[in-house]
Amino acid sequence: MQQDLDDLLPRIASGDPTAFARWLAGAERPVRLSLRGLARWVDVEAVLQETLLRVWQVAPRLEPDGRPNGLLRFAIRAAHNLAISEIRRRKTPGVDPAVLERAIEEASVAASPPPHDPLLRAATMDCLEALPPKARTVIMVRISSGGAADDADLARGLSMRTNTFLQSFTRARNALRTCLENKGIDVGARP
Amino acid sequence: MTPEERESLAAALGSAHRERSPSGEIRWHRAFFDLPEEDREAAFDDAAALRVIEAGMDEEGLSSTARAVLARLP
Repeated sequence: MQQDLDDLLPRIASGDPTAFARWLAGAERPVRLSLRGLARWVDVEAVLQETLLRVWQVAPRLEPDGRPNGLLRFAIRAAHNLAISEIRRRKTPGVDPAVLERAIEEASVAASPPPHDPLLRAATMDCLEALPPKARTVIMVRISSGGAADDADLARGLSMRTNTFLQSFTRARNALRTCLENKGIDVGARP
Repeated sequence: MTPEERESLAAALGSAHRERSPSGEIRWHRAFFDLPEEDREAAFDDAAALRVIEAGMDEEGLSSTARAVLARLP
């Protein structure tokens, strides 16, 4: 059965950050993946975060249209509009207009949140435990920062050079991904 | 640019950390501009996979992107 994140809309609209956090847990991935076709020309992470902040601001004024996941559909349209606006504002060279048109069309396609995987947390923690201690530390430091610190600061905290930190992080992330895939969990980018 | 340099730039771009301008606008990561265009989709795929792993490690199922957004709510 399709999950309707709009069940959270009344609480989000009233300014409940806990409800918005639950919405983010389901909505972030489909919004991100909808931007893949534009990833060559925009910093998707920046566009995504700006979009999600706008969703929080717009939610109190969103009129439901009777179909599920209206806030998610709004977020995807808003993300694409912002991405395309940035491409045009920055006069990004080499952008194929046909790709932009296709991106606009894709933004109108109905989206749904991914199904919850109850095994993901246990499997991820198992795989994390299997990492060498130094690799586990690097992964944990980056993730637990929650985007609050840049990599140079995180590396300094571990008395590492930034490049060494990033190389260690990449190896640890790849090992985690392989471990999860060996457990039958695909964390690939495709929906 | 060496493969290791490209790999480091892709890893940096995959961070959820973004600076803000004085007006509050979220700035694009400097690694985005340094990373060759042909490597950006692969970097996107790595970041998307990483967010799944992050959410899997989080008790509330939130990635570092979600955490960064929640920290910026007015």
